[in-house]
Amino acid sequence: MKKETRRVKASLAAGAAAFSLVLVACGGTDNGSEARGDANSGDSEVSGDITLLTPIYEGNEGKQLLEEELLPQFYEQYPEVTVTVDYTNFGSLNEKLTTAVASGLVPDVMMMGVGWIEAFASNGVLADLGEHGVTIDELSGDFTPEILEGGVWEGDLYAVPIMLDTRFGIARKDILAEAGFTEPPGSFEELREYAIALTERSDSGELERAGFDLLSMDLRQMYEVFLFANGGSLFNDDYTEPAFNSPEGVEALQFLVDLVQEDEVEDIGFSSTDIDVHPLLNGRAAMAVGHNNLWIQLQEAAPELADELMPFSITGTQPGMFFGGTLATVSSGSSHPEAAMALVEFLAGEEAALAANEQRGNVPARTALLDSEYVQSNPLVQFAMENLDVAQREGGVPQWLEIRGDFTPAVESALLGQKTAQEALDDLADGARAAMDR
Amino acid sequence: MTATTTSASHGAGQPAERRPRVNARRVLLTVLLAFGAFTMIIPFLWMILTSVKSPAELIEFPPSFWPKEWVWSNYTEALDAAPFATYFRNSLVIATGHTLITVFFGAMAGYALARIPFRGRELIFLGFIAMLMIPTYTKIVPQFLLVKFMPLFGGNDILGQGGSGWLNTWWALLIPGGLSPFAIFLFRQFYLSLPRELEEAARLDGLGEFRIWGQVYTPLVKPAIATVALLTFQDSWNNFLWPLLVTTRDDLRVIQVGLAVFQQEGTTQWAYLMAGTTLATIPMVVLFLVAQRYFIQGFATAGIK
Repeated sequence: MKKETRRVKASLAAGAAAFSLVLVACGGTDNGSEARGDANSGDSEVSGDITLLTPIYEGNEGKQLLEEELLPQFYEQYPEVTVTVDYTNFGSLNEKLTTAVASGLVPDVMMMGVGWIEAFASNGVLADLGEHGVTIDELSGDFTPEILEGGVWEGDLYAVPIMLDTRFGIARKDILAEAGFTEPPGSFEELREYAIALTERSDSGELERAGFDLLSMDLRQMYEVFLFANGGSLFNDDYTEPAFNSPEGVEALQFLVDLVQEDEVEDIGFSSTDIDVHPLLNGRAAMAVGHNNLWIQLQEAAPELADELMPFSITGTQPGMFFGGTLATVSSGSSHPEAAMALVEFLAGEEAALAANEQRGNVPARTALLDSEYVQSNPLVQFAMENLDVAQREGGVPQWLEIRGDFTPAVESALLGQKTAQEALDDLADGARAAMDR
Repeated sequence: MTATTTSASHGAGQPAERRPRVNARRVLLTVLLAFGAFTMIIPFLWMILTSVKSPAELIEFPPSFWPKEWVWSNYTEALDAAPFATYFRNSLVIATGHTLITVFFGAMAGYALARIPFRGRELIFLGFIAMLMIPTYTKIVPQFLLVKFMPLFGGNDILGQGGSGWLNTWWALLIPGGLSPFAIFLFRQFYLSLPRELEEAARLDGLGEFRIWGQVYTPLVKPAIATVALLTFQDSWNNFLWPLLVTTRDDLRVIQVGLAVFQQEGTTQWAYLMAGTTLATIPMVVLFLVAQRYFIQGFATAGIK
């Protein structure tokens, strides 16, 4: 009897669960991320329901900024446009875009990273913004040439930059002072000299402080900073051949290998991209290649170090700085290209872009925003903006998203001594060439 | 098992002084197992302790084990970062749905492959085994296209054209991941181990195939049900990419999407991520505690096969 009761209960529970699932499955409503204002003035000639796919504005804070502050302003200008937002993150953006393209359901406005434009523009997914009245010439006064170049494919503009993620040298002023250094290193040789002097080991030889931390940054991006600083580039001028295995590229990688293997300024495993805390913040490193948003971490965890962080350009034959970032694009298949274009211009505009950058602690792409209060109050962002003329980007070929994944293992193999710098980069170049020939 | 056998073999005929040796072994075994259990639990403990540390304490090196100050507000702040209540509900619905579908249909399929002789049975079984080898990533685009071109749904015509199919609906979240070849494989192995006599007796009593499956054999494979249910629930609960791909609406997103908010380019908010992860782990821990007896039995039996 007891068994029977239990069975009946189990059946009821299973039935109820199944019923609730069917109810939920059938009851989907469109109350998701559609945002709409009630404005009754503005440009009513531009109209349509458009979709926006974005890897930024994530979380409640980002959503609030976009849907409660920015989009209402957009609707004031364009009362006949409705925007439905699809939030994602950079980690899954490629899959989102790939499935969208494969199924033909491409969002009207897509935000993507520097180095991504080439792939989607060459496949015909993106609209040439010049055809909608936004040209390179028109924007050249608002952005530095290299930043604007991130949205260009074969001479045409396909994307407008909104925010940048920059990587450059960062030093701890107080730790440098301990060794008598008052200025950041101004050359590779000085960097080596500083790093050796600032490295600290225990009596047993265990590394206690890295003179220069290479490992907390993604190795591809870290290497690119040194490649650019040494006068190298990823591809040749017409983007038909890899160029990172040029003498400049090999020399840059060899410099890094020597720092680790000969000078022992950092041990493999001492830090990683997954580390909880950046070693500059807890004194485990004296210098590093860092991201501009280290400032946000510092403000949360160690505000007392605010005066101790000193950004600097990694300088070889020239100052080097790497930038990635987020750009806004329009789908070539959009049913409402004017509305989509209006949204791109709005989001990449000064006011909206500043708010988005402030929310994430990033570097505004528009040069005019250098004077903004936000930029002036964030020394790392300010440094990045003041040096945007030396910043270089990655990408350039449509196969970049495929090629870039092989960089980290290649750099790693050189740092570990499994391959020479030349072998590692030559093998990488062979792979890149094969991808470009496909 | 070894300890029990040793103890039995030293029963009545053996001198009593051997007993302390057995106890010493047990103690050693217990200590070893406790040590093993402790090493397993350390990451969870670390996660919980990290979730209540302040940002200033998190950057300390060497890191402290016990928080100097217990910052419980990390939990409320983490929950404020995304609509976790909605995400939690969605994850629960999807994981429960997948579990029910998998247990019901997986058990039927496993039973058929184990106990009903029909032409091509081995070939179908080999097909399921082959499906186990296909990497998840290679299935994403085809599965997405199947969902998008689902006929007569989401404005699609009979040929699956013109609309969005199951995209942005619960169907896309519940059906494609609803049944796994692994579950069918596991059920088949369990049904194979049961005696044929039960089936023969049931047939003599006039039971049909469905009742033999439901009333005679399935009650005997509770460990398999618990194992499959728990693994399916866990897998589904941790799913991130598929729910993100097939939905564009925030009200259909899952808890793992919420946790991703704390990891941005170049920075991770560890205290919030650990607080959110601790909360996300609770249902799994509760489920395991409830089903652990069957679950362990299930694994042990599967291992013997």
